[in-house]
Amino acid sequence: MSDNPTANFKQVHHSVTKIDAKQLALGKDSYVGDLAPREALIVKMLWSPHPHARITSINVSKAEKMPGVKAVLWHGNVPRNIHCTAGQGYPEPSPYDTFIFDTKVRHVGDRVAAVAAETAEQAEAALKKITVKYELLEPVFTIDEAMAEDAPIIHDEPEAYVPIPIPYDPKKNLVAMVGCEAGDFDQGMQDADFTFDDTYETPYAQHCPIEPYTSLAHVDSAGRIVITTSTQVPFHCRRIVAQALGLPVQKIRVIKPRIGGGFGSKQEILLEDIVALVALRTGRPAFWQFTREENFITGRTRHPIRVRLRAGIKKDGTITAIGMDCWNNTGAYGGHGLTVVSCCGSKVLPLYRCDNIHFDGKVLYTNLPVGGAYRGFGATQAFFAMESTIDKMADAIGMDPLEFRRQNHIQSGDSSPIFAALGEGKEGTPMTIDSCALDDCIAKGAEAIGWDKRTDWRDKTGRYRRGIGMACLMQGSSIPHIDMGGASIKINEDGSFNLLVGATDLGTGSDTVLAQIAAEELATTTDKMIVYSSDTDMTPFDVGAYASSTTYLSGEASRKAAADAKRQILKTGAEILGLPVDQVQCVASHVQNTDGSQKVSYGDIACYALYSKNQYQIIGTGSHFTEKSPPPFAAHYAEIEVDTWTGLIRVLQYVSTIDCGTAINPALCEGQTEGGTLNGISYALTEQYLFTNGRMTNPSFAEYHIFSMRDKPPIKAILVPSYEHSGPFGAKSVSEICINGPAPVFANAIYNATGARLYEFPFMPEKVLKAIQAVKA
Amino acid sequence: MKLCEFLRPASLSAARDNLRELGTKGMILAGGTALHFMQDHTPVTAVDITRLGLSYIRPDGNFYRIGATTPLSDIQRYRAPRWAMHEICRRISTHQIRNVSTIGGNICRVFPWADLPVVLLAMNARMVVYSDHENEYSADEYFATQPAKRFLDGNILTSVKVPALQAHHGFGSVKVSRTTAAFSMVTIAAVLELDGSIIQSARIAAGSAIPFPRRLPNVEAALVGKEAVSEVFKEASTKAARDVPWRSCEGQSPEYSQHLAEVSILDALERAATFAHGRAE
Ligand SMILES: Cc1cc2nc3c(=O)[nH]c(=O)nc-3n(C[C@H](O)[C@H](O)[C@H](O)COP(=O)(O)OP(=O)(O)OC[C@H]3O[C@@H](n4cnc5c(N)ncnc54)[C@H](O)[C@@H]3O)c2cc1C
Repeated sequence: MSDNPTANFKQVHHSVTKIDAKQLALGKDSYVGDLAPREALIVKMLWSPHPHARITSINVSKAEKMPGVKAVLWHGNVPRNIHCTAGQGYPEPSPYDTFIFDTKVRHVGDRVAAVAAETAEQAEAALKKITVKYELLEPVFTIDEAMAEDAPIIHDEPEAYVPIPIPYDPKKNLVAMVGCEAGDFDQGMQDADFTFDDTYETPYAQHCPIEPYTSLAHVDSAGRIVITTSTQVPFHCRRIVAQALGLPVQKIRVIKPRIGGGFGSKQEILLEDIVALVALRTGRPAFWQFTREENFITGRTRHPIRVRLRAGIKKDGTITAIGMDCWNNTGAYGGHGLTVVSCCGSKVLPLYRCDNIHFDGKVLYTNLPVGGAYRGFGATQAFFAMESTIDKMADAIGMDPLEFRRQNHIQSGDSSPIFAALGEGKEGTPMTIDSCALDDCIAKGAEAIGWDKRTDWRDKTGRYRRGIGMACLMQGSSIPHIDMGGASIKINEDGSFNLLVGATDLGTGSDTVLAQIAAEELATTTDKMIVYSSDTDMTPFDVGAYASSTTYLSGEASRKAAADAKRQILKTGAEILGLPVDQVQCVASHVQNTDGSQKVSYGDIACYALYSKNQYQIIGTGSHFTEKSPPPFAAHYAEIEVDTWTGLIRVLQYVSTIDCGTAINPALCEGQTEGGTLNGISYALTEQYLFTNGRMTNPSFAEYHIFSMRDKPPIKAILVPSYEHSGPFGAKSVSEICINGPAPVFANAIYNATGARLYEFPFMPEKVLKAIQAVKA
Repeated sequence: MKLCEFLRPASLSAARDNLRELGTKGMILAGGTALHFMQDHTPVTAVDITRLGLSYIRPDGNFYRIGATTPLSDIQRYRAPRWAMHEICRRISTHQIRNVSTIGGNICRVFPWADLPVVLLAMNARMVVYSDHENEYSADEYFATQPAKRFLDGNILTSVKVPALQAHHGFGSVKVSRTTAAFSMVTIAAVLELDGSIIQSARIAAGSAIPFPRRLPNVEAALVGKEAVSEVFKEASTKAARDVPWRSCEGQSPEYSQHLAEVSILDALERAATFAHGRAE
């Protein structure tokens, strides 16, 4: 090995073509929608038009008699099992507050009744024949209303509870509470030369995967339910459907085909219980795909969070105290509420060295759309506050914000009390930072954006003003002692391998990445890997694709499985060659002696083991859970131009650096980084949920604006090398972190351009204009 | 609308006969993109007019004549002296929509966000409508109300005549949108006729953030006879509020829409003046 361990890698650290690229480019049947048989019944749902109401009566008899209708489901004819739709660990750190159907609706877009019919038109026609009487209840639309003394109670059902020992008080609309202290925050504030106390608000957003939520179910000839679904969490899906329907897990198989994006939205079980029930009741396959409007209104969203950030610094730039109070609006159901708010603290506060830290997070029900997992998961919201305040701190002491960050950020060998204090529904895990190339990220990003040319906003004149902003970021890689991934690998006669993983490729390329890792360990090539993933009957368990875990966690499981198979290959190879095992090694799909003069191919080894002597299947298995969650780090920069007459912002260039450890597949890492950054750019600039009486009024791409490729500003993704010893071949994670940058980067760039500081986004032009006018005044 | 049947008549007169026969059960189909916004599921028979030789752009005396079924992408790509229609077409939705969406479809049923009526009003275009003979309407007359009413009895828009801009004419347009494919928050188009530096005549039109595209007579009046300079443009733009009440748009307040319109008017006028001066050289 050279000093640079990545230099010797033959499979990892190479931009291998995605193994499903050709199939997708050729438009082969790949997605759930492609796989629905002609005879599948089509499911449609009647959604609540009210934000908060009790269903006093419901009559489905006319609907049941409508042409083509095969089933109508409502609260009167389905099992009433309380459960949680969030696919997380088990037991979930989220309240059990959901029924398949309930007698109460808690947001516009809550379930009322489902129809399954031969065609979509027939199902829709039947929905119109369902008569529902509602007793309207006072709705709760803001976290302040939710916390008010006599606030209406959104979850008054007696069954609601949380399955782990954490505070849950639905009578106060309180979903969860979490907090921690390190050092003495008040003292830290007193010791400061400058103090800061600002409140930031972050908005709703939807993930907008191009493939909407889609599920298909049928009952197989053995009477088991097979659910083919667009999910990030097939194993959680199986468990949750079993809970909701009151069936044993054994009765259910979940298959995930190719996925057209998830970004966290498909970490939730929103359709699968219904298609499974329809299939069971009718004996027919059942297919349900959300419309785009349904994706917005009843799909999951990013939790809007209010963050109060208090901090103190000394004149020399030492941070003496950081206090973060978060109020998380989780909407009508509480899934992911606690963990998202925990990540506001756990993924953000450790970034800067500080002895005195206070964190408090509260999660509240409202009668608005339901929050869920979304790439960035709380860190996105909290980094807006943190990185805006960091710029304010630097400004207060007249220091370059880049230097201020460099002086204060966490380094290799450091720890943070937050790692130990904040976990997911329990205490965290102490951790010392191994790899950290944040200094390099800062330096390379600064060079790429031209930080040198940045000038003070007071020197700028004219209508169009340019500004440069930056932010530093971190995230995690998996959830220690909670996440788990498994893999198995077996050899075939031609030296190819079946790699079976529970991990879920939702378009990210993780099947390819895991194949590269296994191939590297086995000293073979990636094209020898036949990957099959995410099938609860066929593949080992994996918690699923979330928490930036797949490469780091499931990658290590694949590596371990490959190492297990390799041991067997070496043993059999040595036997064939007539050499002791310690005198052979794996090189280029062969077992050979030290100088390569004697060797036998993997294919011959497989045949020998399968057909000739001491017959056995060479098969390796591996499971992995993590002891730590090593953060990837990033420095983001943007140059923008603000039209000070209109408040409109143009992004001139964006630089997104990332230290993700070893980039297992650099092209895919760059893709993730560019995609996540662009996702964050439109979240910061144009995406907004508009409401009238709790109803989203802009649930379409015509009115909810996400950036397309034609809107994409020049984005430069820079992979900055580091080596994380706890990860497979030095890898950490790449997928989430990059969405956290744009909101604070733009806030800081707007300030640098105009002197206007914005405390909420999206940075709609009217808001920007008002802030600019306030500076002028 | 729900397309249940499809007719492709061989001639304009056959198309008109079909439409008159079908009455409210018939619908002219050009690019068909507006169906996306007409989701009431009323069953209709589509009468396809895209193969009737109505897709062309050609000079015609002092005009450019654009056939009614000419796709927006053709208009976007067309170049000729004193031609300015490409500018706004480039800004309408996506390539895919522009490839099929036609000028006729854009102006026969005008949606609040339609951009072409704004430009055609400013340009003083003329619309040619076929009944049993051809009638020509000025833009002011044509866009006085929703033009769809004009086509209820089988009439068909056949072409649009856009005046070729003269040497001392200038054109400028502004479309403000949140993303490239988004509907406009405000669209402004301006045509200035200059005599030296003095504005002889002005046609300023607006769309989006108001109920229906229209001209802004108070803005125009504040320009005529004045010098084509920024101060005059700025003063004139403040008259936009007198012409029309501006609406809230995409969560922005009505006051902001008005402000945005005023700045956009100013920008459109600056562009028009530059255009006119450039051409005069
Ligand atoms: C997603 C999307 C975004 C869009 N954004 C914009 C935008 O930002 N700005 C903008 O200006 N436009 C925009 N459009 C286009 C616009 O909304 C209309 O869809 C389009 O202009 C209609 O043109 P068409 O050729 O497809 O007409 P069609 O859909 O075929 O017809 C539209 C209407 O006009 C009638 N009609 C068509 N041709 C004639 C004729 N020759 N004589 C009489 N009646 C006729 C039809 O019967 C129908 O009622 C957008 C469209 C889409 C789908």
